[in-house]
Amino acid sequence: MSTQIQIEHLARVEGHGGITVELDDGVVSMFRFDIFEGARLLEGLVRGRGYEDISPILSRICSICSVAHSLTSLKATENALGVKVTPQTELLRDLLYRGESIQSHALHLFCLAVPDYLDYPSVIALAADHLDAVKLGLRLKTLGNSIQETLGGRAVHPVNAIVGGFGKLPSVDSLVALRAALIQGVADCETTIKVLASLPVAEFCHTDTVFAALSSPGNHGYYAGDEIVVSSNGQRQSVRAADYRSLSNEKAVPGSHAKHSSFHGKPFMVGSLARLTTNTQGLTERARVALDDLGLRLPSDNPMDNNKAQAVELVHDVHSALAIVDRLLRDGIKEEGCVAVRPKAGTGTGVTEAPRGLLVHSYTYDDEGRIVAADVITPTAFNVASIENHFRSTVEQSASKDVPVLKKKLEMVARAYDPCISCSVHLLQRRPSVDV
Amino acid sequence: MSKTTVGLFGLTGCAGDQLVILNCEDQLLDLVNAIDIRDFLMASSANDEDCELDLALVEGAVLSKRDEEKLKRIRARSKALMAVGTCAVWGGIAALNPEVDRAKLLFEIYGSQGAQYDSLPPRSLREVVKVDLNLTGCPIEKGQFLSAVSSLLNGDPPIFPEYPVCTECRMLENNCLLIEKSQICCGPLTVAGCDARCPELGIPCVGCRGPVDEANFSSALAMFGEKGIPRERIAAKLRTFAPISGDHS
Repeated sequence: MSTQIQIEHLARVEGHGGITVELDDGVVSMFRFDIFEGARLLEGLVRGRGYEDISPILSRICSICSVAHSLTSLKATENALGVKVTPQTELLRDLLYRGESIQSHALHLFCLAVPDYLDYPSVIALAADHLDAVKLGLRLKTLGNSIQETLGGRAVHPVNAIVGGFGKLPSVDSLVALRAALIQGVADCETTIKVLASLPVAEFCHTDTVFAALSSPGNHGYYAGDEIVVSSNGQRQSVRAADYRSLSNEKAVPGSHAKHSSFHGKPFMVGSLARLTTNTQGLTERARVALDDLGLRLPSDNPMDNNKAQAVELVHDVHSALAIVDRLLRDGIKEEGCVAVRPKAGTGTGVTEAPRGLLVHSYTYDDEGRIVAADVITPTAFNVASIENHFRSTVEQSASKDVPVLKKKLEMVARAYDPCISCSVHLLQRRPSVDV
Repeated sequence: MSKTTVGLFGLTGCAGDQLVILNCEDQLLDLVNAIDIRDFLMASSANDEDCELDLALVEGAVLSKRDEEKLKRIRARSKALMAVGTCAVWGGIAALNPEVDRAKLLFEIYGSQGAQYDSLPPRSLREVVKVDLNLTGCPIEKGQFLSAVSSLLNGDPPIFPEYPVCTECRMLENNCLLIEKSQICCGPLTVAGCDARCPELGIPCVGCRGPVDEANFSSALAMFGEKGIPRERIAAKLRTFAPISGDHS
């Protein structure tokens, strides 16, 4: 007997996707994450444009992680053109990136994921019964947005971070205001941990999972670093950022119609859980304690733990952002101007950690600073193989094979990855049906 | 009196305009209480996909048959339809080069499977259905969105600026990036409403809000030309987010 589990429109995610799993006599015969996003072909459309145009255009790949795309784009362009930004610029970009992570994690946890755990269809319905929790989430989201507005000039599609530095540096007054908001944020993080720790347990599958993340020098962060770490059963391997293609050698997998990213033949997971697994040592003290508060043991074999990992990062980012603002207020901000750019031919790769995981932009420029080739690989593109793998395990390991029960589990697993489907530049759209 | 029924929808884009709506944190709870949101896939898993709507807010451009069919269904069930964001109003960045060979790009980016994709040349909403209101911006501005919605709830037509970014920039007393620094600033041709966000930061306007009514492209091209900037570079900049008038002549 054949059963089909189909979720035509996956709700409460960014972009348009669906889930299809088929069972033949209780055995999973097909499992896929469908992408319905229209092809915008942005990597092709930017060809011929000058280096200063690339970040404003390619940040529009995604809104929730527009800071990530913008800064990764700048990193790739600056690497290609041999531009070395100042330590102050690096620090301000680090802070801007944390603002996005706070905004994105707060949005995902409170507005998209928590409603699942408490059985509400939306944050709007959740607000009717749990107004304080919703207000808490919105406050943290506002905090992230304020950081993005102060540093990036806008919350969605930042404009102020440009090749070589920043358009305008933040004023002391704006940093003082941010500091006050961050102190409230520190208190809000304590409540967040309590809220998250009180949620019902979600365990739908247990599988050995391979994790990949940017190796973060020093403090657990998102922007700096040029080396990717892959962690599998406690074994760690490094891949240079410029060799990112060795992680994305896409291949077909029986049962799925996606081309899958893999490392030595195994799908891997990127995102908060992967970052914590590979970079635990860089966490702030409070974030480290939050791991215990939430009962998050690493490495985890439960993809739902990505939600807990986001909560831990939320704590880490609010504390780290406060430390950066304090440092900026103490040392003062120097009016140093942008680093001058002299166009030259070359290729450069930028790898950073978007809220949803590893993000790669790689560009080649001609000697007049016009782009001849652009390659973008997004976290969701890296994750699709792992998502589908966890769909299969979820259905296989579920005691109940009732379709409504399985649907809810599959939706929660997909949502735990915080997929960003607009981002899936390199993913396949709805794939034509092919029998296994 | 029953509340205004509203649906929020996204076609192909970055979902940035829906995100700006979700970013109205201070007004969000009041907003959802003032209206009756029936269909909002990005925020809810309990949606009525068939009911009649007083107002549909649609972001993104039409880039596939799926988008086109979805938009036509939304139009058929909605009394009023507002295009939200530059992609919906003008086609946005997916339309930045109307002459491009899409079949070739599909192959280059997605390989041989690209030919099987449901892919159409980008269109704005008004090229496909009747649009009642256009709220532009990449992304839209919070204040404009909230004031447009409250005008509509009060039965008034929303008022949008009809002057260029330059007007706002001058009111802020910024130095002119175009005249004084010879940079390609799209301010003279771009519709205001952003408080000259980029020039205020010392960065030239990229035109993300689309053209102001009666934008004088030929005079702007001549003005840029006098600065020694090659015409094709200027034209490419000016049509990044929206077609320039010459594209349709």
